[in-house]
Amino acid sequence: MIEPSIALFGESFEEASRVLEQLIEDTGAQYALLVDRKGFVLAHKEALWAPRPPALDSLATLVAGNAAATKALAELLGEPRFSELVHQGERQGLYVEEVNDLTLLVIIFDQNAPVGRVKLFGKRAAGMLDRITERAKVESSAARKRLGLDTEYRESASALLDDLFGDL
Amino acid sequence: MSTINFATREINFKIVYYGPGLSGKTTNLKFVYSRIPEDRKGEMVSLATEDERTLFFDFLPVDLGEVKGFKTRFHLYTVPGQVFYNASRKLILRGVDGIVFVADSAPNRLRANAESMRNLRENLAEYELSLEEIPMVLQINKRDLPDALPVDMVRAVIDPEQKYPVFEAVAIQGKGVFEPLREVSRMVLGRLAPQK
Repeated sequence: MIEPSIALFGESFEEASRVLEQLIEDTGAQYALLVDRKGFVLAHKEALWAPRPPALDSLATLVAGNAAATKALAELLGEPRFSELVHQGERQGLYVEEVNDLTLLVIIFDQNAPVGRVKLFGKRAAGMLDRITERAKVESSAARKRLGLDTEYRESASALLDDLFGDL
Repeated sequence: MSTINFATREINFKIVYYGPGLSGKTTNLKFVYSRIPEDRKGEMVSLATEDERTLFFDFLPVDLGEVKGFKTRFHLYTVPGQVFYNASRKLILRGVDGIVFVADSAPNRLRANAESMRNLRENLAEYELSLEEIPMVLQINKRDLPDALPVDMVRAVIDPEQKYPVFEAVAIQGKGVFEPLREVSRMVLGRLAPQK
């Protein structure tokens, strides 16, 4: 069985982005991301005043790895899940909330955002994102069709592969 | 299945380096990292123990470039090879699109190669996946060992039916590192856009 994918685009992407934007406004957090459990970023927003974010790819990968490990720990202890994950440093904190089986909500905040507020609005946002991403779930073949990925795509990509990996 | 982000027009693939402990999975990734131009790679993340054994995974994002208006990106992962770390190894396989199986040519690692392949099948089965569904290539590494086993002998224990493309390598010198990566990437792309 190949997992279904989340294909956020058009209205659903806009909606998810609005939820993240509102979340930043409500909590005073720096960054909010919707990532899938494979470690890819689906949508992200940052506060206008926030400094340049860290590498989002690395962030999403580590959060997804961490969430997977936490879930495995929960199962070892006979729990279906530990729903939230908070890390607090001296200046910054990271909050991860399960949206559903396929996606996670990540909020990065500093000392100006009270953690209680982050959790409260984080949970609310996760509920909204759950509905949005459920609607955006597609089977892989449908996603391919919608994209119009065809022989031409494959050939162009293969040529790029040769360029990148061929001459090194 | 690859993750497609229509809004940001990105297609992402996950390629996992699998194989027994100390077969050279991290070495492969380090070499790729050292050779890819700055603007085509992200940060390499390594979650390793103090003695540089992979604890959870290594991660390297590589940008292929834009194809038909879509940014195409490969996320390369290694798993911890040591038998002991199976719980974390299994987690990395989630959402895998392609596998490079790194086998060790040393005579005393023949059995470890076979066990790692069996372990791969078992772990994929937990995601209801089989090797018939996931593109895979084999890299027979450490060909420079004085007592390296013949390729056919290594292959006989991991791929007795000879179904997968095979590449010989000395990953530490960068030999045979890019060929298997290019081949598995091609196979993954082929699945995304099958021939009509």
